[in-house]
Amino acid sequence: MVRSTKCEVRSAMRRAGRGILLAACGLFFMALLCGVSPLTKQKVFIKTLPGSRYQLMVGGRPYIVKGVCYNPVPIGKNHEYDWWSDPAKPWLVDGKLMKEMGINTVRFYQPGQNAEAVKKVIRDLYERFGIRTILGNWLGFWEYPCPFYADKSFQEKIKKEVLEMVGLYKDEPGLLMWILGNENNYSCLGLINKWSSEEIDKEPDPQRQKAMRANIYYSYVNEIAREIKKIDPHHPVALGNGELIGLEFAKEVSSDIDLIACIIYRGKTFGNLFNSLKFTFDKPVLISEFGADAYDAYLKKEDQNMQAFFLESQWRMIYQNLADYPQGAGNCIGGTMFEWTDEWWKHNEYDPAGWALHSEDAGWSNSSYYIDIRAPKNMNMNEEWFGLVALSKESEDGLNKRTLRKAYYVLREFWKKPVLNNKKKKKR
Amino acid sequence: MKFQIPNSKSQISFKSQIPMIKTCKFGVSVIGIWSLLGIWCLVLGISSVHAQEGNLAAWNKLVIEAKTSQDLYAPLEAIKEFYFKNNKYSDFVDYLKSLAQKKKSAEPFVNYYRALARYQHLKYLEEKQLWDEYFSQGNAYRNELTEGCKMAIAATTGQEPLHIYARLLLWQFHKDQHDSFEESALSDLVVSAIEYSARAKDFKPIKEVADKFFVYKEKGRSKEFYKIYAQKLITSQMPDTELAKAASKFYQEGNLDLSENIYDAYIDRVSKTLPKEELIRVLTEIASIFAYKDEGPSDPFYAEKIFKKLEDKAGKEAFDQEVMYLRGFNLEKAKEYPQAKAVFDSLALRFPKSTHLDEVIFKSGLISAYVLRDKDKAKEYFGKLAQREKNFTAQAVSGLYQLGLLSQWEEDSNAARNFYNRLLDVAAGNFSDTVALARERLKEIEESKPIEYNLKTFLDLSLKKENAGYDMSKIDLRSQPYQVKRKQRVSVDSTAHTAPTGCMHIELQYLWSGHLGKAQTPLASQAEFETSYSSSGTKEINLVVVSPTGIIDRSLDIVDIH
Repeated sequence: MVRSTKCEVRSAMRRAGRGILLAACGLFFMALLCGVSPLTKQKVFIKTLPGSRYQLMVGGRPYIVKGVCYNPVPIGKNHEYDWWSDPAKPWLVDGKLMKEMGINTVRFYQPGQNAEAVKKVIRDLYERFGIRTILGNWLGFWEYPCPFYADKSFQEKIKKEVLEMVGLYKDEPGLLMWILGNENNYSCLGLINKWSSEEIDKEPDPQRQKAMRANIYYSYVNEIAREIKKIDPHHPVALGNGELIGLEFAKEVSSDIDLIACIIYRGKTFGNLFNSLKFTFDKPVLISEFGADAYDAYLKKEDQNMQAFFLESQWRMIYQNLADYPQGAGNCIGGTMFEWTDEWWKHNEYDPAGWALHSEDAGWSNSSYYIDIRAPKNMNMNEEWFGLVALSKESEDGLNKRTLRKAYYVLREFWKKPVLNNKKKKKR
Repeated sequence: MKFQIPNSKSQISFKSQIPMIKTCKFGVSVIGIWSLLGIWCLVLGISSVHAQEGNLAAWNKLVIEAKTSQDLYAPLEAIKEFYFKNNKYSDFVDYLKSLAQKKKSAEPFVNYYRALARYQHLKYLEEKQLWDEYFSQGNAYRNELTEGCKMAIAATTGQEPLHIYARLLLWQFHKDQHDSFEESALSDLVVSAIEYSARAKDFKPIKEVADKFFVYKEKGRSKEFYKIYAQKLITSQMPDTELAKAASKFYQEGNLDLSENIYDAYIDRVSKTLPKEELIRVLTEIASIFAYKDEGPSDPFYAEKIFKKLEDKAGKEAFDQEVMYLRGFNLEKAKEYPQAKAVFDSLALRFPKSTHLDEVIFKSGLISAYVLRDKDKAKEYFGKLAQREKNFTAQAVSGLYQLGLLSQWEEDSNAARNFYNRLLDVAAGNFSDTVALARERLKEIEESKPIEYNLKTFLDLSLKKENAGYDMSKIDLRSQPYQVKRKQRVSVDSTAHTAPTGCMHIELQYLWSGHLGKAQTPLASQAEFETSYSSSGTKEINLVVVSPTGIIDRSLDIVDIH
């Protein structure tokens, strides 16, 4: 009896097992039919390790962002050019070169207007070269006359734009994360794109005014991040920020931000950024814009070595602060260096004739890039010369011919074997 | 034992020159005197190389025969110098490797010098832009450097200088890199150096640590270790006169921190022993050494500290008019304007016949108006200068100009016109700089125009109470030199401390006004300019810096033309 009962139970279990198996297979095929493949729908998230160390996880594995900012504007065009729809498809030529170098991520500051073209670029880069995409939004930073972050209608307009972007691209398998803003925090300090409100204007203390602007701005970004997560819980949301400026305010109001994406130009190194961040804003950090130009403003000639020298050192610092490097801060998840190709329109964006000239005039000064700091008025940063790839007017397959700079090769070798002397001490 | 430089490149370079000499000697009869001279120089060069090679062999012998680790420092330093002088860092590393095999007890030194060689090597490659080697070997050299330091540290005790040197080098490396280990390397170094200083008899490593902190702008740390070093010197039974000499020597070398520390200790000692008159002399001398001067090192804040000490010990009577003037001038150049004014006031009160009288009254007026926002007080000072009937000095003429200017700003055109006209009368063809300014202002009044824009902006910012937020803290305005003769060049330079703007460049506007001399009004894009003055007197230079989103701050500088 007992035995017969056991057999019946076993037989029932077998039947049930078969049923479950069949149901699972059915679901799998249905999912395939619907286009939701478990292989392509990979969740991206941040894993917290002991000691405020962070790792970006993609498809269940740690992912180091070895990235580059990508905006392949051809010679003679400016930032308004829709390269996404360029029939010569620059991303195919560049994607191949990037893959060969070891780049696994590109950062777009903002997607183009044509969503289908943008999707095509993201898919091509991912499917052909395994390169993932970080998508950003300027958050209206360049709106004329200034970004009115204290104004409700402005806030709603920008938020709508961002959420539309998220809705459009969140299911792209190649998507890695979102970055909100870039160096927008400088507008809170009042020297760049200064904005205000009646309440701020009433405040007599300039320091207090700055704090008020920062609170408004960071609260607003956090609100957008919260909304993004409602429609896309699968990709982290980063706060784009110039340096660490203002993060003491962000800390109080940014609980929905997953990581900080910092724009840093400190020459050879990032200084105490990684450790200092732990105290001000304990979240993982992506160095989302950094690099060096390849033009010596003092000697007035191209200097590829100078660029390679700074970039190699900067990447070494990034690697020293990844989660798996025991002695470092452990809060860095990688970087997207600035940038893939030179952009010839940048020195004077209001002069169309200048877009076809590779300007040798520096646009700003930064003494951390000391090799050419003796240039007149210390103006040593040549905005049109930051590319890992130089462009020439010569055409190749409908594109400006690409010439790889030395930094390309130096970093390719570095990534193959990042020697960091990171042996753990043996326990005795 | 014949010492051989272990690297093949070096051997080639020495040997390959010898056949050249033989060839030249063979042709002596057919070559001219210049060739002979050339040969002689070559022979001398070879001799020098041989001499150095001989030295190297001798130093190496000392290393090999050294009985204690103490005996290794001098010869290894000499050998290091030899290789470093010729930038032969890899050769030195090869030499050290061979030394490690011959003399096991020298291993900590070998590791430290290996690290030092790679540290210098990397610097050299960067400086000379020898990028191929830098990129291909950089990581390997960095590893060799850190490993070498760590091994030297592990193999030595905290009482050995080598331990401190290795920790110092490791910190320097991480500091240069600004990497994650910088903080821990620094705290390890500080702890070790403090422990070392407690018991060691050789103070040199302490000074080297302080020197390096100074070079790396770790001001607090360098002061701390200079203090420790100075303390060691003081407790070493050094006589007072020797202590003062040591302080003076460090001052001459430009090491003001160390010099000040030793002077402090010296003052502490002599305060208890010297008679009052002698102490006044000593303190005055030390304060004068450090007081602001256009050439040579100075530390106005330390000078003021000593002036204060002098006042505490001996009262105001210890100051004659020259010392008092120096104290006020020093404070003025340190931009400690309210304190400078207090000293100038005191000088004017105690020495009403001082040759500096008009200058200090005028400066007190400028400070009252444009720093302390007290135009009524300023008018009192300028009024004192203007009320005389004859013997108008440059400052008295400038006093009239300032009275006119303040009246004009208050929109009292009649009063302003009267002051300017009186100025033109008493100037009698002299004081051309001030006369030119007065004429400009008079023209504005005649044409019912506002005060020139830059000057008006400066006056508004300086005099209106609601602009108290512009407190001169955001602009550094300096002239060089401050005391000049007529027609001598003066460089005026400004730095505005603005909020960061990342890679977005901000064009600032520099609104210059005041007594600008030959330069007249520099362009608004100029953060600096050069000028000269055709007439003597005290010249005020005003600046307002403006960004696209508003005013940053204002500043004032004062130059004396004699």
